[in-house]
Amino acid sequence: MTSCFNDLDTVPIDEDEITSAKVYEDPNAYRQVLAKLYAGLAVSGQQGPSGQADIAGIDEGFGQYLRAYWYHQELPTDEAVIGWNDQTIKDFHDQDWDANDVFINAYYSRIFYQISLCNEYLRETTDEKLDGRGVDGTLRSDVNVFRAEARFLRALSYYHALDAFGNVPFVTEEDAVGAFFPEQISRADLYNFIEAELKAIESILLPARSNEYGRADQGALWMLLAKLYLNAEVYTGNAAYTEAAEYSEKVIGAGYKLEEEFSHLFMADNDGSEEIIFPINFDGVNTLTFGGTNFIIHAAVGGNMNPADFGIDGGWGGTRTTSALVNKFPSLDANTEVVAPVDGNSANYSLLNIAGAHQGWDPASEATVLASVNNDSNYEGYLYLAEAGEFKFALGGWENNWGTGDGDGVLSKGGDNLSVAEPGLYKINVDTSGLTYTVQKTEWGLIGSSTPGGWDADTDMTYIPDENALSITLELLAGEVKFRANDAWDINYGDTGADAILELGGDNIIIPSDGVYTLKLFLDRPDYTYSIARPSFDSRALFHTDGQELEIADISQFTEGYAVTKFKNVTSTGVAGSDLRYADTDFPMFRLADAYLMYAEAVLRGGSGSIPTAVEYVNLVRNRAYGDGSGNIQQADLSLDFILDERARELAWECHRRTDLIRFNRFSNSDYLWPWKGGVAEGAVTAETRNLFPIPSNDISANPKLKQNPGY
Amino acid sequence: MKRLIKTFILLSVIVLGPAILLGQRTLTGNITDAESGEPLIGANILIGGTSSGTITDFDGNYSLEVPEGSSTLVISYTGYSSLEVEITAANVLDVQLSAGELLEEVVVIGYGTVKKEDATGSVQTVNTKNFNKGAITGPQELLSGKIAGVQITNSADPGGGAVIRIRGGSSLSASNDPLIVIDGVPVDNGGVSGSRNPLNVINPNDIETFTVLKDASATAIYGSRASNGVILITTKKGKLGKKISVNYNGNVGFSNPIDNVDVLNADEYRSLINERFAEGHPSKALLGSENTDWQSEIYETGIAQDHNLSLSGGIGVVPYRLSLGFTDKKGILRTDRFERTTAALNLSPGFLENRLQINVNLKGMFTNNTFANQGAIGSAVAFDPTQPVLDASSPYGGFYTWTQANGDPNTLSPANPVALLEMGKNRSDVQRFITNATVDYRFAFLPELRANLNLGYDYSKGEGTNDVPGNASFAYNSATGGGVKNTYSQEKRNELLEFYLNYANVFGSTKIDVMGGYSWQRFFFEDSFFNSDIAGIQVTEGENSGELYLLSLFGRLNVTLMDKVLITATLRRDGTSRFSPDTRWGLFPAAAVAWKMIDGNGTGTLSNLKLRVGYGVTGQQDVGGFYQYLPRYLSGFENARYQFGNEFVTTIRPEGYDANIKWEETTTYNIGLDYGFLDDRITGSIEYYLRETKDLINFVPVPAGTNLTNFINTNVGDLENKGVEFSINAIPVRKTDFVWELGFNVTANENKITRLTATDDPEYLGVLTGGISGGVGNTIQIHSVGHPANSFLVYEQVYAENGLPIEGLYVDRNGDGQITADDQYRLNNPAPDVFFGLTTNVTYKNFDLSLAGRASIGNYVYNNVQSDQAFSDRLFHPTLYLLNVHSDINEIGFETPEYFSDHFIQDGSFLRLDHITLSYTFNEIFKKSGSLRVYGTLQNPILVTNYSGLDPEVFGGIDSNIYPRSRTILFGVNANF
Repeated sequence: MTSCFNDLDTVPIDEDEITSAKVYEDPNAYRQVLAKLYAGLAVSGQQGPSGQADIAGIDEGFGQYLRAYWYHQELPTDEAVIGWNDQTIKDFHDQDWDANDVFINAYYSRIFYQISLCNEYLRETTDEKLDGRGVDGTLRSDVNVFRAEARFLRALSYYHALDAFGNVPFVTEEDAVGAFFPEQISRADLYNFIEAELKAIESILLPARSNEYGRADQGALWMLLAKLYLNAEVYTGNAAYTEAAEYSEKVIGAGYKLEEEFSHLFMADNDGSEEIIFPINFDGVNTLTFGGTNFIIHAAVGGNMNPADFGIDGGWGGTRTTSALVNKFPSLDANTEVVAPVDGNSANYSLLNIAGAHQGWDPASEATVLASVNNDSNYEGYLYLAEAGEFKFALGGWENNWGTGDGDGVLSKGGDNLSVAEPGLYKINVDTSGLTYTVQKTEWGLIGSSTPGGWDADTDMTYIPDENALSITLELLAGEVKFRANDAWDINYGDTGADAILELGGDNIIIPSDGVYTLKLFLDRPDYTYSIARPSFDSRALFHTDGQELEIADISQFTEGYAVTKFKNVTSTGVAGSDLRYADTDFPMFRLADAYLMYAEAVLRGGSGSIPTAVEYVNLVRNRAYGDGSGNIQQADLSLDFILDERARELAWECHRRTDLIRFNRFSNSDYLWPWKGGVAEGAVTAETRNLFPIPSNDISANPKLKQNPGY
Repeated sequence: MKRLIKTFILLSVIVLGPAILLGQRTLTGNITDAESGEPLIGANILIGGTSSGTITDFDGNYSLEVPEGSSTLVISYTGYSSLEVEITAANVLDVQLSAGELLEEVVVIGYGTVKKEDATGSVQTVNTKNFNKGAITGPQELLSGKIAGVQITNSADPGGGAVIRIRGGSSLSASNDPLIVIDGVPVDNGGVSGSRNPLNVINPNDIETFTVLKDASATAIYGSRASNGVILITTKKGKLGKKISVNYNGNVGFSNPIDNVDVLNADEYRSLINERFAEGHPSKALLGSENTDWQSEIYETGIAQDHNLSLSGGIGVVPYRLSLGFTDKKGILRTDRFERTTAALNLSPGFLENRLQINVNLKGMFTNNTFANQGAIGSAVAFDPTQPVLDASSPYGGFYTWTQANGDPNTLSPANPVALLEMGKNRSDVQRFITNATVDYRFAFLPELRANLNLGYDYSKGEGTNDVPGNASFAYNSATGGGVKNTYSQEKRNELLEFYLNYANVFGSTKIDVMGGYSWQRFFFEDSFFNSDIAGIQVTEGENSGELYLLSLFGRLNVTLMDKVLITATLRRDGTSRFSPDTRWGLFPAAAVAWKMIDGNGTGTLSNLKLRVGYGVTGQQDVGGFYQYLPRYLSGFENARYQFGNEFVTTIRPEGYDANIKWEETTTYNIGLDYGFLDDRITGSIEYYLRETKDLINFVPVPAGTNLTNFINTNVGDLENKGVEFSINAIPVRKTDFVWELGFNVTANENKITRLTATDDPEYLGVLTGGISGGVGNTIQIHSVGHPANSFLVYEQVYAENGLPIEGLYVDRNGDGQITADDQYRLNNPAPDVFFGLTTNVTYKNFDLSLAGRASIGNYVYNNVQSDQAFSDRLFHPTLYLLNVHSDINEIGFETPEYFSDHFIQDGSFLRLDHITLSYTFNEIFKKSGSLRVYGTLQNPILVTNYSGLDPEVFGGIDSNIYPRSRTILFGVNANF
């Protein structure tokens, strides 16, 4: 009967559940457990998209690492608001969270979950244990690198803890699992630990750009070090800008390439991008979560946005941005005008109506008219005829009308209809006293030093009937242009006085900088005018404005505040991701453009380096954004304020904003206010203690060695 | 099983040992029933003044060696008056016993029985005579409201289970369910996948008695599973000496919803939209022209029928009972259906002059469930009443659906409630068999000693499928084709071996009864699931299995002094594989003393008075998970892999664990007074108890970084329940043709958490609990120190002079000038302060009227239907759909939801009449024998409450579109012949 008592010594009989003593009997386990360390950033549990959660005390989707990270880095800033009624979520933007906040607790728990997992991995892969299991050869050297990656991931999470919570409990692989109270480490000591760890593993990690996609290498490590150094003054009180510039430079020199199209960085096929240094990987079939980019994309779609455009089944209607971010872009209008047209029709000239089949033979219609700029009998204008047809001139009725007279160019009152043999844009001059007229077909082009043909050959423009305008979109160099007809100088217009009114043979029109422009020529009647517009000014201004208010009166209403269209589950070729419910899009945690901007900032803040190089790096980023050099800055433009705004434009919603604002002392106590900061529509100053989140009260209770951050 | 068989053989060798026979003279005879002349099998025959005697065999015969000088024989038989007869010169002594009055009511306790009057613990029994009548599907419904301290909240779905709480819950995170022991087999009451109620294995018609062990002196014999009380269910047996008797019970019932959630009707809704939004607002274009009452679209009359046939009697030495039952019950929610077939066989033969008694039970259940999608309940309350049910142009099964611009369903809007019910089939087949055999042997050489072996096997299997077509709007996916094709199955195999020895003897005025035993139980489950869309693109599948062993040694000593003072002491040592070798063994002692101050024959008003005092320690090992103490790793699913290069790697995760986890321990103090007046026409008891749970398992945050998870189940808390119970049973009228019986009980229980964390941090808020509808992750309740479990955590609403709440305005309770989380306070809780049960039965000639009701005072409910649906922001959603609102919007008038206002914490006190049953019995329908009873029941006829929602009886206290209880009319017949 006593043998029966041995029955109590059971071990799991489920194949998915293995005792820790046995798990590493399978050599594959080293890689699979490592995969969990990475997956801890991407999924919320062992079953996608939810189930067998990693952490508890929070809705599983809320507790996913990236989603929690995003909440903390974006919602308290000018870059994002969220409309939902989930627990205390609105406290983020109001900056009035407290130590009991479940979201803060979730982020903190996630960070320490990662750290605990990494520690466990390091404990299980010591030389002693590997020797004991007879691990050698390739596996042994692989595991050596795996261990370094685990230490990198631990440093990454400790960095997040350092940044968000400051003074946190400190545990390493030296601490076994069990009931004990970890010591609290000071923010400065934690900084030193992270720095030392990263330096210690630098030579073990694989060289930049040589590891498998998704796994950390030296590029990721340099990026993390650069960030650590850039914020060193915040973390320790001592600046380390030289080191920040140095490690940014290492990244820059490693061969990463800016993605050609900015928007492609945030799409379903961004895993091919050479700009991304360290991603968090997602996949619509294999890596499912209600957090991550799946959350970022779904939550941002609402109102009258079409979910299909984002490759999703339907939006969750939650997140938007404030006008503070929107206003950092020069203009959102895709046709930002360099020169706006003057309303030629407003000039009070006397008119001569052109009646014909094209407008229903109405002698009173002002749809097509000629005008007399001197209010005499000489009228001029351009008539577009979509097809060959007949017409007459009339003065507001049939009482006074003119048709063809005897001979070429002779007009007669009440004469027969005039006609043209082919469609086109005709320049017409009429003298109702002298009874003469000319009808001349015109073909238009753009010529000048800015154009591809220089002053030698013009580039043809196209007539757009709906706009009564000739139009052309092309890449121009800084320089001069003119409009001319029929490849000749007989009819050419310039703009004397730069008043947007064209004069025959007028002065050359200035094109201020290189770029893609749309020029339009409005010739239907004097005064003739034109417009020059930039079809895309800053391609990073990715907002949905239709049906949305710029300003927010009620944060709960999705339609208040512009929606952000940056992240999509659509590939760069426009194909939806592999599942509409879960995104394929990877999250670019570290990417090259950030390194450029960090370098510039570090140098500007006094780190060793070259200011001209900094300007060059910033312009690389801006050149990509503008598609050309039109957005480039000069050395004089490079200021810290510019950098902060530029980081918002370039890196919005990529989890940098809170850290950036704090580094620039603009997060809480400064005079930088944004809508609903501090829970007030116009924005309010908040306490400086908000620069750190509180240690969650859960941990204060669980661990008597912890001291709460000031102000909580 | 091999081990079981070995043990059985071992035991057989012991019992077959030769008996030693002494004596000078042999008396033989025959014991029969005085009325029927049937032989009485197993009757006790003792030689007067000694403890030696014998038992009659299956023909009622006995043979006994009588020493010189013996003068009397004492003959006793359960249910009959004992008789002392003089020994004459004759060697044959036949005796007739009269059934007469039941002298001694015997109560089943763990591993044995005790005379009711000798019970020392808080033990109460309900038997066939006073079961609830009416529409009974699950066994627990027989018991509802009958016993002080026992609260049963039945669910409303057909065949659904119940939450049973005995003297409040002793746990927070671990199970609060009582241990249920069916015919000696402690069962796994977790239920198998696809099952609505694990107790469905027993047909209520097969149950003879429920015995509820409430205090620790009674329950401690079940050690680590006894903290929440024990319910012993004994099923009916055949009777030897009876000719075959046949019983048929059948009924048919019709159920209807009592009331609907008060939402706006279509006209009211249209005018609200028109009044609220300006001309040209997109909401106007969304309004439909229909008048749909969505709630009436999803409910219908639920028709139920129930048939039971039982045959019982005795064939030779084998009493038998065979019963078959069939239930077909349709819920009031359309498409909801429960079909059950049960079969039970009991054989209870006695051998070797009844010294060897065997009792074999076979119980089987087959159920087919069709589960209605209960999402339809909330959806019907929320759906725009101006839209039609059907829309011929809809590609989504022809059901009206809110769509996006591209025609795909709007994923945020509720699905059409009728589509939820009609599109898709969610079914399960569940079988459960509980088999056990007890062998009880009274040693021939030492009749005071008896050995008892109990072997049990509990098998259950559930299989289910859920299919939803791809064109259902709620399973739509344009990329994959959508739809749902899920299957699951689970099998549980639980084995039991128990053996005990019992020695009972009388030494002068002292009676001693000692029992000691061993128990071995193994629980095993394996399950699997396969979730997929129709095309098989998004697939999740998994398998899981686990086993749990419970081993025990236990003993009990009963001493009766001068038939006045009763002493019971029990001790159980329990081991469980759930905990580590260092913590897996626990010792659970208990002791009780009872003093029969006035006993039975007392003349005068007070006929009976017994004082009982008990103390005991019990445990709770059901803390969830089988290996929480063990470091282990868990593989991930295919859809939670991580991409390395071009490969998706299946992950392995180290799991959090608490190496030191152990059981919760509850110490119970109980003092009770049993009383009887007027020759026990009035009986009852009053009791006070204090239950202190320590090492309470709480799901608490681990110090960050110290474990492989952030929360863990560990032993850190303390909890206290104290209460008073009072019960009275009276027979105010007892005449030949007219009997009126009355039963009433009342319980007051107070629950308080006294500790929750290892560090006793005064700032520690507590454990948030009680998830609500509205937002994601919002909770309304909290476990915190100094307060009852599940107290509501809310803001104090400020009201205008007209008595209406002012939106978003709360009392600044801490006076810091701002409203923050610190201004929340703990207000009431869902558990009643006091609850009552009332039963009465009036028999007049052949008429019988019975009714049963319950009342509850001080149970608070969070009206989540109101809080989530009575605000105007929800009327129009910017993704272009409309939602209905609760009619209280006119009164409350909130724009945005105010989930945490105490306005929604409402007093759920209620008085409910559970049933009224009227029956008429036709006697002697077949010449001399047989009877036919016809009856009609009105189930749930009256509910009196001030609660503003549909029904205040909500376990957990959060009323969020629960399945509404129905009102049922039932007609039935019960025939005996």
